Amino acid sequence: MAGKRAAEESSFPFKRKRKNAEDDDDYVQVDNDDEYTPGGSSSFSRPAKINVSALTRKLAQTRHPNDVGDEINESSLVAHRQQQDNLVSHIFMDQDFSWLHLKPDHAARPLWIGPDDGHIILEAFSPIAEQAQDFLVAISEPVSRPAFIHEYKLTSYSLYAAVSVGLQTEDIIEVLNRLSKVPVPDSIVEFIRERTLSYGKVKLVLKHNKYFVESSHPETLQYLLKDSVIREARVHTQQVDNSIKAATFTTSKAPVKGALVIPGTREAEKKKDETVSGKSTAPSAAASKDAELFTSVVGVDADEVDEDDENVHAFEIDDAKVDEVKKRCSDLQYPMLEEYDFRNDTVNANLDIDLKPSTVIRPYQETSLSKMFGNGRARSGIIVLPCGAGKTLVGITAACTIKKSCLVLCTSSVSVMQWRQQFMQWSNVTDKQIAVFTADQKEKFAGDSGIVVSTYSMVANTHNRSHESKKMMEFLTSREWGFILLDEVHVVPAAMFRRVVTTIKAHSKLGLTATLVREDDKIADLNYMIGPKLYEANWMDLAAKGHIANVQCAEVWCPMTPEFYREYLREQSRKRMLLYCMNPRKFQACQFLIKYHEDRGDKIIVFSDNVYALEAYARKLGKLYIHGGTSQVERMRILQNFQHNPAVNTIFLSKVGDTSIDLPEATCLIQISSHFGSRRQEAQRLGRILRAKRRNDEGFNAFFYSLVSKDTQEMFYSTKRQQFLIDQGYAFKVITHLDGLEELPDLVYKTRDEQIELISSVLLASESEADLGTDVRAGEGDLPGTITSKDFGANKFPAVDRTTGSLSALSGGQHMSYIEQNKSANKKLAREVAPRHKLFAKRDKDMATARREARTGRG
Amino acid sequence: MKAIRGILLTCDSAVKQILLTMNEKSSFIIEDLDDYHVVIKADEEWRVRQELDAELEKNTYSLE
Repeated sequence: MAGKRAAEESSFPFKRKRKNAEDDDDYVQVDNDDEYTPGGSSSFSRPAKINVSALTRKLAQTRHPNDVGDEINESSLVAHRQQQDNLVSHIFMDQDFSWLHLKPDHAARPLWIGPDDGHIILEAFSPIAEQAQDFLVAISEPVSRPAFIHEYKLTSYSLYAAVSVGLQTEDIIEVLNRLSKVPVPDSIVEFIRERTLSYGKVKLVLKHNKYFVESSHPETLQYLLKDSVIREARVHTQQVDNSIKAATFTTSKAPVKGALVIPGTREAEKKKDETVSGKSTAPSAAASKDAELFTSVVGVDADEVDEDDENVHAFEIDDAKVDEVKKRCSDLQYPMLEEYDFRNDTVNANLDIDLKPSTVIRPYQETSLSKMFGNGRARSGIIVLPCGAGKTLVGITAACTIKKSCLVLCTSSVSVMQWRQQFMQWSNVTDKQIAVFTADQKEKFAGDSGIVVSTYSMVANTHNRSHESKKMMEFLTSREWGFILLDEVHVVPAAMFRRVVTTIKAHSKLGLTATLVREDDKIADLNYMIGPKLYEANWMDLAAKGHIANVQCAEVWCPMTPEFYREYLREQSRKRMLLYCMNPRKFQACQFLIKYHEDRGDKIIVFSDNVYALEAYARKLGKLYIHGGTSQVERMRILQNFQHNPAVNTIFLSKVGDTSIDLPEATCLIQISSHFGSRRQEAQRLGRILRAKRRNDEGFNAFFYSLVSKDTQEMFYSTKRQQFLIDQGYAFKVITHLDGLEELPDLVYKTRDEQIELISSVLLASESEADLGTDVRAGEGDLPGTITSKDFGANKFPAVDRTTGSLSALSGGQHMSYIEQNKSANKKLAREVAPRHKLFAKRDKDMATARREARTGRG
Repeated sequence: MKAIRGILLTCDSAVKQILLTMNEKSSFIIEDLDDYHVVIKADEEWRVRQELDAELEKNTYSLE
């Protein structure tokens, strides 16, 4: 797509120059039509608005350098161009948009908008790309964001999200029009109007423990009340004497962010300084400071929703009928946003937690949270941040802002413990206030409020429970939760989610994820059950600002040796995988890369999902390894050595290292076998080196290698796995030949004999060895979908193993001790290099004579 | 004397292994010369090429 657009553009360069010079006056007039002229920007004081004036200024600035138009003999050139256009237009078929006429100053504007599919192409190299990006992230879904051209897509849900953070329909269209090279197509304008008409107009607010349907548009409420279901759910208050239409609703001031301070932000620090020096600031001043902090192009405060009408209108509905009303409203195309006015909630006890004074959150974490707490209330929604960018801290900060009882749900029992540990690390929560609910531990917190950390399956379980967990569930369902934090939302099955959301009464929900995989319809479910996506970070941006490491990605192609490929083709089933993992050339590439990076002073992690291959590699290369079977003590010893011992620079990890082991020392990652085409695993593994300690060193690069056996299924999976990272802007280099590999001293499996020996041992390995992640066993509370589910305790293994096998196998006839250790010489002979075939002998002879003749002919 | 019209195929070792496997299903290889060369029956060439393409395509990921 991008390519096509670029091609279109390149067919106009001369026209553009000419028009720039001529239509300069026109351009200024266009600007004057708008109410915000650059000069008026100083008097423009409303804090949170689409900062149109800033944009205009930028546009004007970038336009000037292009003004240097040279007079060319135009008429013939234009005709020539037109002819060229006609020549190529048929190639693009339906995608030929040359009829969209470019604006005269299009060079200064960074967007292309596709008229029929809502795709938006952004020129990321444009000087105002950063502002445009902020705006686009708010209104559309990022599809792909490589270095120079970004692709976004307008969808119903993205517009829904845009409205929910307080953007107005007209503003969206206005800004799009300003940024676009072509006038915004009517179809897109219509789409935006249609989608934003009803979305976000109605809010469901829990105030003083009563549910209110709130809107700034009384007509909308009137419309909703015409529906019988909603009318019945309405609770009538004593307002019988009022017959005026608008007054039938309770009317109140629109919520403002006011003095709400998200802990850990710069502002919070400022606040502290102020109290020390004894000065007090009016809330309005704080609000304007906010605007400075958070506003670039797009304001995040929602005040503007109510700018014409300072009041919002609401009516109360019955608690028991909330779900019905919610569903009904969705059917009526008025999906409700859920907001929680936690500062005015007096019924639920406050939880006295705060971030530790030393905790400072990063700017992007602040931005994401400011979208959530934009109007001083807590919105429900999803925040998307890369692995290693501190999702946990965002969650904890949100919990510390709301300061109510909080339920944290994660995917496995290991992450339960991690969350708990992180809460203790970043906030001043006490041991008594935080409780864990897993298969092994069932605690309750002391006091009226606290935090419970659990897994999805523990809460959603509908089967029989033990007495204890039943009691625990009663405890969970009997109370109201101020805040529910949902970790890794994208993996949770929809049905399980629904159960969680309906059984637990929570006022606000926040979903966290790194990889919102977009092609399935799960996303739609999430939108309905949690809320819109509030924020999605750009990986490349974070890398550029040093929050995560810069990573060079490479895919190394290792050809299969003929012997291995022969067996690979004959083998069906899972053993194929073992063959391409154990490919001797891959062994060599791995050895070479380890050697190369150890010499550079890198710390290396080698990942293998397959435990058999993991052990074989680690033993052959003499490195330490950890897999599920490694005991806890040994594991700690190995990790400690890796962190502190300069002699240990490489460790081999199985799936257990995907998430649970945090190694900020690692700077290089080699992947030898992986979980088929899992894009999530690829992203997660990359996350292992994103938080590299040395990331802020000048010119520092982390390295990510995938070793792939050529001509095997692995090629397919590997390309598939990379898609997510590619969309985030990472580029994978393909390495087909490692320079200097052959010269490496003591290269493993150099001779054919050794390779043949290797293959026979691989073929002897039982089928089960080929399974992935056999070392990692899922705990009771783990979700089946999480590839990283793990449980380390050896005591969990069943005491009795039932196996089927032949009599000879059971009596030891197929045991290793029966393997013939001395290879028969015949076997080797058959695979030795065949002498040159006699067919070639003749050809060689002919060629030699031809050469001789040529020479004699010359001489 | 019986003569068969043959074609010399030059390929990499991986492709040769695929050819050998295909040969087991329906024989078309006249002579297996070395790691990089085989002689196949001329009239089977088109079919062999098709099947080989299909086989190699299996390992390619496309967005569609």
